[in-house]
Amino acid sequence: MHIHNYEKIWLVLAMLLIVAIITTITYGATAAGISMVADDEETIDSTALGDDERFADPRVEQIDDNEYEVYVIARQFQFQPDPIEVPANSRVTFYVTSPDVLHGFHVEGTNANTMVIPGEVSKLTVEPNEPGEYGIVCNEYCGAGHHDMEGMLIVHPEDEFELEDDSDE
Amino acid sequence: MSGEGTVREIGHDEFDPKGTLALISVYFAILVIMWIFMYFVEFLGNELTVIG
Repeated sequence: MHIHNYEKIWLVLAMLLIVAIITTITYGATAAGISMVADDEETIDSTALGDDERFADPRVEQIDDNEYEVYVIARQFQFQPDPIEVPANSRVTFYVTSPDVLHGFHVEGTNANTMVIPGEVSKLTVEPNEPGEYGIVCNEYCGAGHHDMEGMLIVHPEDEFELEDDSDE
Repeated sequence: MSGEGTVREIGHDEFDPKGTLALISVYFAILVIMWIFMYFVEFLGNELTVIG
């Protein structure tokens, strides 16, 4: 078979493009540390979140010097806690679950986005560096009040942050 | 278009569509630039990013 020179050029470039795109994704997953929201969390009883140590009291919890865990319930039609307050330059892990229907948890304008499935816990870790207020929206249609379902993530400057103790003790 | 006298036969390798080559090169360049912009600027620069 005889292939024209221009076709050879095109074949090579197309191959290079595929290799470059795969390399970019690999770079993102390794060097840049981008990760996917996995389903490796244990399933829980969505009808008994009140008995779950994490979700009975949706809250922000400090687990290390600069590490926080946030237990979030997405329900028709709100996020709890609201607002979620964390300090900047920290490592924050969200555990999100739903007691009723499918919801979304999307920190608007960012890549922090996951589906929230009743009985499952979506876990995502982020490192907020910029203080500011981020809106949280539900991006899965969840019922008549879906368009009103929103929350707030407030990232405070490190030196102004104090963990609120909102437990009932 | 013109008379029979201007008919010219050329072989496979002599046919060089330079205009098409140029056009496709431009498309290709746009594709590469858009990819770099989309991934490295829009996606990686879009804090907060899921890292775990």
